[in-house]
Amino acid sequence: MIEKAAILEVNGLGKTYQTRGVETCALSGIDLAVRGGEFTALAGPSGSGKTTLLNLMGALDHPTCGEVRLDGELLAALGPAELSRLRLHKLGFIFQAYNLIPVFSAAENIEFVMELQGIPRRERRARALELLEQVELGGLGDKRPLEMSGGQQQRVAVARALASRPRVILADEPTANLDSKTAIRLLDLMLDLNQSQETTFLFSSHDPLVLERARRRVWLRDGGIDRIEEEGGA
Amino acid sequence: MLSIFRLAWRNVGRNPRRTGIVITAVAVGIAGTLISMAIFYGMMFQMVDNAIRTDLGHLQIHAQGYDDDPAIGLLLRAGGKIEIRAVTDDPLTVRYAPRIRGEGLVTSPTASVGIRIIGIDPELEKGVSVVGDSLVEGDYFARPRTALVGQGLARRLGVDVGDKIVLSVQDLSADMTGEALRVGGIFRTPLAELERSTLFLDREEADRLFGLGGGISEVVVVAHSRDQARELQEHLSAALPNREIRRWDELQPMLASMLSVMDQMAWGLYVTIFIAMAFGIANVLLMAIFERIREIGILLAVGLSRSRLVAMVIAESLFVTLLGLAIGFGLALGVLSLLSNGIDLSAWAEGMNAYGMGTQIVPVLSPDDFTIPTAVALLTALLASAWPAIRAVRLRPAEAVRHD
Repeated sequence: MIEKAAILEVNGLGKTYQTRGVETCALSGIDLAVRGGEFTALAGPSGSGKTTLLNLMGALDHPTCGEVRLDGELLAALGPAELSRLRLHKLGFIFQAYNLIPVFSAAENIEFVMELQGIPRRERRARALELLEQVELGGLGDKRPLEMSGGQQQRVAVARALASRPRVILADEPTANLDSKTAIRLLDLMLDLNQSQETTFLFSSHDPLVLERARRRVWLRDGGIDRIEEEGGA
Repeated sequence: MLSIFRLAWRNVGRNPRRTGIVITAVAVGIAGTLISMAIFYGMMFQMVDNAIRTDLGHLQIHAQGYDDDPAIGLLLRAGGKIEIRAVTDDPLTVRYAPRIRGEGLVTSPTASVGIRIIGIDPELEKGVSVVGDSLVEGDYFARPRTALVGQGLARRLGVDVGDKIVLSVQDLSADMTGEALRVGGIFRTPLAELERSTLFLDREEADRLFGLGGGISEVVVVAHSRDQARELQEHLSAALPNREIRRWDELQPMLASMLSVMDQMAWGLYVTIFIAMAFGIANVLLMAIFERIREIGILLAVGLSRSRLVAMVIAESLFVTLLGLAIGFGLALGVLSLLSNGIDLSAWAEGMNAYGMGTQIVPVLSPDDFTIPTAVALLTALLASAWPAIRAVRLRPAEAVRHD
């Protein structure tokens, strides 16, 4: 079997925060590669550095040391405008607190990303409706986020993340605010997207529902990689 | 960019009470300023028009040297025949009137007052000044050897219509001479000074009194509007060399400078009001930014560039300001249409007349009254959004998305 090229790659990655003169090492010496079609979870207890690593890989934050490459492109070499462009075209995000824009309808939330990409109105409208169907929210396109349940909002967030046809979707604790039944439906949807469309997912989560579905689990402890578990091996 | 503006527009409506307060502040501020300025301009223009209609005309033609020393001997010969021909030949001229101007002493049985004497052609003068229409008693030169006196002058002299007065003047030969006349009519105008110290005579009487031999002091010319005065002045200057041809604003530079001061005051007022508003708008925008830190983090995370984020904040500021401006304009136009028949200030008649104003002030608005505040408002909106925009673009997406 031919090994796919890494989409996201980090080498010697470290992040130190400084709060009131006190340095806190959130992450150090991380080496990791995410390849196309993966369904990977960053796991570990609170404070282990999951979210920090996800933010660094998602170009939302700058590392203190080491490097992040997305499709071979070194993020540290890019300016703010280029990082915005990269997030817009190559990355999709799903957050714990749904984080939809409340003044936009579900369809508008999905279309917004495509409009930033410059996709014509008719095309993006059609794709938004298609994505809503895909996440089983057909007919709810005109609803505002506050008129939807948590599970529905998170599915709109999945559709929004898919809208830009990103290389990888980064999901930070996507099930943390959902009941287990809703969480299972959402995770099965994402797993289905992964299997049917080879959409790459990278999770940050300590939810067993996520971890049991992940084909690779990267366990973090005290800011470093503790162990990596792969499906069919340890 | 469309979605950025749509987002900005919807953000404006997110907190209707807060947005409403800012819009109301802008609207009331702009309406109050517009109404005040319209009333002030109405007063100023009335002052100017009163001066033009009772004394100055749009232009006056004098002999060379009259500006420096308006002596009785500086005359336009033969009743101003040449000057009147040039004036009547010009298509911009609407009306004209020849005048004699001199000084003298008027005596009644109870008082003597130093006065300005103006000799007029009664029929032609009707076209250029309102003296004939301002009589409160008596007739407009219905009988020979009569004079018109202002109400203030009549009061100072203690005379009424039909009473005898004696005029004493120094004639062209520098001899003292005099003539007994009767008060033919008493006029009242908004120009207090004119009313207190001016006496109108038939031009032939004045000519005889001063011994001018048919000469006149000036030709007063009225054009279609104040704006044509400069063009008419250029025409007449070319046609009548060696004459002094002066516009109303050159004859009374104080009136012109008052109008100029008003224009500067308007700018000052708008800038002051909008600076105050800028703080209010900036405050509201800052609050809105702080309330939406997580949302802004999401926008940045999904790929919104910082320049578009700035555009969104500016657009929110512009929407609030322009809405306030539009409502303010509407409010001002509504109030001013109710005042279109004038504001009755007769309770302050004496003070108003001292400044050459009537007691009925009609507010006046010009296109500049809309363009200046619009320009200042747009600038204000940009300035007010600068601080919130800087705060927004400085947010770090990783922290912002987790903000509570």
